[in-house]
Formats: sequence, C-alpha cells, structure tokens
Amino acid sequence: MKAILTDTTLCIGCRDCVVACRKANALEPEVPRRWETRDGLSARNWTSIVERPGPVYVRKQCRHCLEPACASACPVGALRRTPEGAVVYDGSKCMGCRYCMMACPYGIPRYDWDLAVPYVRKCILCYDRLKEGKQPACTEICPTEATIFGDREALLQEARRRIRENPGRYADKIWGETEVGGTSVFYISDADLSFLTRGRELAQTPMPAHTASAMHAVPFAFFGMAATMAGISWIIGRRMDLQQKSPEDKKDDDHE
Amino acid sequence: MNRVRNFKLFLWALLGLGAAVGTARFMFGLGATTNLSDAVPWGLWIGFDVMSGVALAAGGFVLTATVYIFRLERFHGIVRAAVLTAFLGYVAVAVGLLFDLGLPWNIWHMIIFWNPHSPLFEVGWCVMLYLTVLLLEFFPVPAESFSGLAKVRNFLVKLRLPLVIAGISLSTLHQSSLGSLFLIMPYHVHPLWYSPILPVIFFLSAIALGLMMVTFEGLISSYLYRRAPETDILAKLGAAARWVLLLYLGVRFTDLAARGQLGHLADGGWQVTLFWMEIALSAAIPAALLFIPRVRHSLAGLWIVAPMAVTGIVFNRINVGGLVHQQRGETLYLPAWTEIAISAAVVAAAALAFLYFVEKFHVWERRPQDPEAAPAALPRFDVASFASLGSPLVRSRTLYSLAFVFAAAFGFSLLSGEALSSRGVDPAPVEEARGGDTLWIDGNLDGFGTAFAHRRHVERLGGDSTSCALCHHLNVPRDRQSGCYSCHRDMYSVSDAFGHDRHASPAGAALGCFDCHAPDAVKSAQSAKECADCHKDLIPAGAVIEVEDYQAAGYTEAMHQVCLGCHQQQAEAVEKPDLPRCGTCHREHKLLVDDPLLAQRYQRLESRGVIVPEVLEEHFQGIRLAALPQEPVTQIDEP
Ligand code: SF4
Ligand code: SF4
Ligand code: SF4
Repeated sequence: MKAILTDTTLCIGCRDCVVACRKANALEPEVPRRWETRDGLSARNWTSIVERPGPVYVRKQCRHCLEPACASACPVGALRRTPEGAVVYDGSKCMGCRYCMMACPYGIPRYDWDLAVPYVRKCILCYDRLKEGKQPACTEICPTEATIFGDREALLQEARRRIRENPGRYADKIWGETEVGGTSVFYISDADLSFLTRGRELAQTPMPAHTASAMHAVPFAFFGMAATMAGISWIIGRRMDLQQKSPEDKKDDDHE
Repeated sequence: MNRVRNFKLFLWALLGLGAAVGTARFMFGLGATTNLSDAVPWGLWIGFDVMSGVALAAGGFVLTATVYIFRLERFHGIVRAAVLTAFLGYVAVAVGLLFDLGLPWNIWHMIIFWNPHSPLFEVGWCVMLYLTVLLLEFFPVPAESFSGLAKVRNFLVKLRLPLVIAGISLSTLHQSSLGSLFLIMPYHVHPLWYSPILPVIFFLSAIALGLMMVTFEGLISSYLYRRAPETDILAKLGAAARWVLLLYLGVRFTDLAARGQLGHLADGGWQVTLFWMEIALSAAIPAALLFIPRVRHSLAGLWIVAPMAVTGIVFNRINVGGLVHQQRGETLYLPAWTEIAISAAVVAAAALAFLYFVEKFHVWERRPQDPEAAPAALPRFDVASFASLGSPLVRSRTLYSLAFVFAAAFGFSLLSGEALSSRGVDPAPVEEARGGDTLWIDGNLDGFGTAFAHRRHVERLGGDSTSCALCHHLNVPRDRQSGCYSCHRDMYSVSDAFGHDRHASPAGAALGCFDCHAPDAVKSAQSAKECADCHKDLIPAGAVIEVEDYQAAGYTEAMHQVCLGCHQQQAEAVEKPDLPRCGTCHREHKLLVDDPLLAQRYQRLESRGVIVPEVLEEHFQGIRLAALPQEPVTQIDEP
C-alpha cells in the first residue's frame, strides 16, 4: 500500500509540487474565483502550500483515507479506493450530487463551479503514474524531499524514526496515522496541524462506520414496517368483520 | 373565482421567472447561478427543495396509513388530496434535484452503479420506488374520468393494500434516510443536531409534519375555493399531531441528555438561538396550542398552528441540511436570488399541477367549480361587429401566458451578464485616479491595491484611439475592465505570453502566416521564426530564456528557472558560488538554520544537481547586494 509522508520542517514553500501537479494532470491555469477557499485548493489546484506562522509550509492535498468517507458516500461509486491506496474518481459515473464534498472530514474535493459540465476534482495520487511504476509528480519534484513517496508501513517507520532521533524537532504525533481509520498521506511537523481539520481532533472511528449501522438497519426497517402494517391491517380488518356480524358491538369502536 | 385566478397568475409569473433562471443555470453552470462554493457545496436547493420537499410530502403516507391500515374512515375525504400532494411533492423533489445536480443527465446512474453503503443511494432508490408507488396509488383518481381505463383502475384498486403498505415502508426508509445522510458528517453538524439517531428523529418529525401539512392544505384549499373546511377532521388530525410532537420533543431532549450535549445550550452561540427557535416553532408551541381544545376546533387556531409547525420542521431540515454545519464556510452562505427563484418556480409548478388535478378530477369529495368550465365561459360576441370578446377561459389563459412571458423577460433582464460570463472572476475594483495618470486598483482581487500606471498602459498599448478596447470590453455587459491577469497571465500560472492572436490580428501586428511560418511546414512553434529574428532587442545575447512553446512561465516557475539560470551564469562570472543557492532569495526561511539532518540531505541533493544553501544568512547578504543585477535581464517591448 503506497503513501506520502510530508515533513513540514523540510518544506521550503517553493510550490514546485503545485506546478508539477498542474503539469502532470494537465490542469488549466488558475485565477482566483468567487467560490474558492483560502487554503488554495481548487478545481485547478489539487495541492497547495498553506503558509502558517513561523513560517511553516504545509502542503495540502487529498489524504487518501484508508476508509474514505467520500467513496462510502458516493451513491454511484464514482469515487473508489484502489489496492495501491489511491482514492480515484471516475467522472463518467458521477452525477454531481457533491455528497462527497459534504462528507470528506478534511474538506478536500473541489468542484468545477464555472462549467456547465462540471466534475469533482481532487488529488488522485497520480494514479496513472503509479500504474506505470512512477512516483507522483509532486514527490518526484520536491527539491528538499520534504514530501516523499513509498510504502505506507516503511514511511510510518521513517516518520517514527525521525521523531525519535531528533528530539525536540517534531511534535510527537503523526497526523494521519490513525485518525478516521488512518490515511495514506500523513504529516510530521513541529507545528500543530490541527488547522487542517479546522481545529478539531478527529476520532479514530473510520467515517463509513458512522452510517454503517443506519444502513444495516434498512432491510429490517423496510420489512419490519411492512410486516407491522400488514399485521395491523389484518387485525383491524378482522375485528371490523366480526363487529359487522354482531351490530350491537358497533358502538364500542367509536372511541379512538 | 378571482382568488383562484390571481393565485394562478402569481404562480405562472413565478414559473416564468424560474424559466429564465433555469436557462441560465444550464447554460452557465452552478457557479454563475448559485452562491454555492467549495466550502458550502449544498445550499437552498438541497436544504429546501429536497429535504423539505420530502418532509412536506409526508402527509401521503401518514394519511394512507390512517385510512387504509387503521381504517379510520372519517379521514377518507382527504386521503386523495394527501396522496396527490405527496406525489407532486416527490415530483418536485426530483425536478429540484435536476437543477442541483452538476450532471443531471447522469441521474439514472444510480440504477446501474450501486453503492449500498451510501445513504444517498438509499435516498435515491426510495424516491424512485415511492414515486412509482404514489403514481399507482393516485392513478385510479384521474382514471375515473376515462372509461377505457376502467380495467386498469379496478386492478389498481384491488392492489391498494399492498401498494399502501409498500408506500408506508418506503416512506419510513426515505424520511429517516434523509437523516442518515448527515451521519457521515459528525465533525460538521453542530452537536445540538448531530446524533446517531438522526434517522429516528427525522422519521418522527415527518409524521407530525405530515399531519400538519394535510391540515394546512385543507385550510388553503377551502380558502381558495370558498369551501367549508372539514373542521372536525382537521381537529382530529391536530389531536393526533400533539402526541407525536410531544414524543418528538421528548426524544430530542432525551437524546441530547444521553449524549451529554445539554451543556451546549448554555454556550450562547447563534446556533443555540436557532435551536430554541426551531424547537419552539416546530414542536413546543404547536403541541402546547393543540392541547387546548378551543384552538384545535377553531379555524383561526389551526391557521396559526399548522403553518407554524410546518415552518418549524422545514426549518429543522434546513438547519441540519447546512445552516448549522460548523467550520465549513469561511464566509456565510446566503442563497442567491436565482436559487430562490428556481425553488419558488418548482413549488409553483407543483401547486399549479395540484390545482389542475383538483379542478379536473375527483380529488375532493366536493369538486370545486371549475372557473373555466362555468356556463359564463361560453364565448361572447359583440353584436355589432361579431368580433369575439373572448371567453373567461380564453381570457384567463391569455393572462397566464402574459404573466409567464413577462416574468421570464423580467428574469432575463435581471440576470447580469457580468455574473454569468465572468466564470467567477470578479472585475477588479477600481478607485478614482489618484495622482494624475495612476489608478489605485485591486487587480489581484485579494484586497491589496496597487498603483496602476494607466497612462503608461495606454501609451504602450497603442495610444488613446486604439488601446481602450484591449481592457475595457464594450461587448461584455457591465464589464468595467479586465483583471491584471488577463494580460499578465503568469501572475498566477503558466500561460501564453507570446500572444499569437495579437501577432496575427489586423488590429495587432497584422502579420500573415508566412511572415513567421515556413510555407511548406506544419505550423507550429518549431517551424516558426525565432522571436529574436524580429525583436532584435528582446533577448540580450547570452540570456537564458528559451522559447520552447507558447507558454510563459508562471511566477514561481519563472523565478526558479529564469532567475536561477541567470544566477548560475553570474555565479561563475563574478565567482560567487552561493549566488544560485536557495538562501540567496529565501533568506527568511528555516533552511538557513544549521541542521545536521538537513545538511545530510543537502549533500545528497547536491549530488543530484539540486542547489541547496550551506552557509548562513549574513554571508548571503553581502552577495545579494553586490551581485544582483539592477535592471531586469529581459525586457519585452511591443513590436
Ligand atoms: S481526504 Fe477526503 S477526499 Fe481524500 S480520500 Fe479522504 S475522504 Fe476522500
Ligand atoms: S458528486 Fe459525483 S463523485 Fe461526488 S458523491 Fe456525487 S456522484 Fe459521487
Ligand atoms: S499525487 Fe499527483 S495528483 Fe496528487 S497532489 Fe501530487 S501531483 Fe497532484
């Protein structure tokens, strides 16, 4: 399973990854639009550098969750997680409901608001390049290896090693190791990265688990309700039949 | 019947307005016609049209259950109207959804691509199935009027019980699954609303809403058609609704207490105010009022309670649907007037369809007088000229058409060309010229103004007579001027700096194809002349710019490639090896800190040919001042 480790202490904010991503995915030039967010992600910027006081440069991109909320939410399965770990998008299936955008805990997917035929746009971990055996464009170009690509387990170990061997350099946390079931894009940093989720700590529960019990209850609710209604209807029908046979009882039925 | 006619006129006008906006919606996309954004991807069309539309249709399943399952025959008189409302409500939901979906022509994909984990998948299927069931449930009513359909009708009437049961089950799923939709957003929905039992809460409130909605409809239609309202029936509905509302209140607060979120009520945020407003309107006040028999049995009382409860529960759907989502938007979302127009048009269409069915078929026990079929509707003639004076029928239809057409025209006139054609890019705000020929403009639209040398631009772009139109496009309505980036494209990104059109156009350099391209070769950048062949002074000898294609570098790239190339040359020329290192320019950042981990990495990188800093800031300071060229290396002039 593939992953990206981003070490914000090494990032120099050069935004070469942003340019590389735009080239690799043939994205159009970007101009500021009304509907864009301040973090710099947009339909035409699948990764962006968020500058935090320090300065700390944090590269934002899709986290490629191990149990992605977006894929679980999509009613037509246009978003899907591949065995390699990339969460990819199939525009030919999408119907544009934007439920994925509502569901993502990291607020990642973006939309082609300006087009009459719009699609959902987000980092796809350069899936085409992965299949060719290449690494993503952004990690390839990074001049300081602040963002590197590899096997998830190996990168987690590397992250732990860096934290262990450089006491005081990092906060003792790997962002993305376990939250929402773990993500394939994770960070180590000297700064607090909880701003990526707008200050909220995410629990370890994978996002799809939040809807799972309701979805499991669906068949029971359906047939349970149908059986109850049929039963009630039968009982009442029978009672009324009986009453019609003995008209003097009829008065009893008037209360409700 | 003027009440009905005026009401219909109003509805037709709403429809006309919606037609204009709808056209714009499908031509220009969601960005031009809504205030939705990447931060707030769902808005009024989901919160009101879909969420509330489904809720309002709840009367259908509540009443069919009452009449056909619990056999409370006294409600029989209104069950047809309730089924019709539910049917039209669901059609309205589906139509509203078509406006909201980005790719509405793919809506049928839910039939073939399945994702049973998705609550929206469940919602979609419920809509489809329940629409079918409602159609079958209602079909016998219009079929009465066509003797040819008697067989179908009889068959469907026999099927009624299974249909009703299927409809109730589907409604149960559907009403509750609208709550399930939001289960996957525990970090967004405010804790006063988010709960694992959202589906149950939605289902309960839907029952109450269904009862109140049937009451409300009964009141409106009796007002419109001047019928005596079925007050006794409506009072019974109210009596049932008060218990459901009470149960709903109990569940809401028990749930809050069980989740330990009651403390939020003391927060004092605006969400708490919304919460109390919603609770008061949707359940607390209506339930309290309904417990007073005088209110239940009086028309005035019902006129207060029913709309209040309906508004309150719709309010709940809008709250959960987006209004109380925390930390989504950096800016407040308010629906655009265009969004409101579409929602209103969808409701208006449903209302017109309702009136049509009511007038043409036997929906109510006492069918209202069809105003257009009244005896007075016979054509009248002016005895002198034999010219038709028009029947009331013709006259009211003419009026409706006029209302529609004028409203549509009005709608088109309201849609501003700027908003539609700008693709989300606002024209740069300009202030009065300050200090002679310089304007203060916010060209990047980031809140920071810059002094714009207007006169110099005029001169450079060809003088007073020809240059204006390059930035002030009179063909784009209300466009004040292009943003800086429309010429300086590389302000944000990779783009075209060569300007092929400007070279070729009669208004520009007016060059013919073969002035630059070889006549027998494929016309491409490769087969064209070098820039320097014409622009002798464009690229000084030894400059590092290469003309690869028509793309000029974006800002960051330009800085890294162009500057760095020159820095590398200069480093050798003036023997300052640090000149091309990162720290020469990025003086502030952390890489300059002496750091063993980084140093190691730098050595590896340097062996790959990437330049990294090794020495500290003071060192660079001197080099910078001494070695940076005073003038830009390249200068691009107009031919
Ligand atoms: S970060 Fe969001 S968009 Fe990316 S995989 Fe996770 S849920 Fe999907
Ligand atoms: S917008 Fe497209 S990808 Fe996103 S949930 Fe809807 S159908 Fe799926
Ligand atoms: S992995 Fe590919 S798509 Fe994702 S940010 Fe990097 S370059 Fe862009």
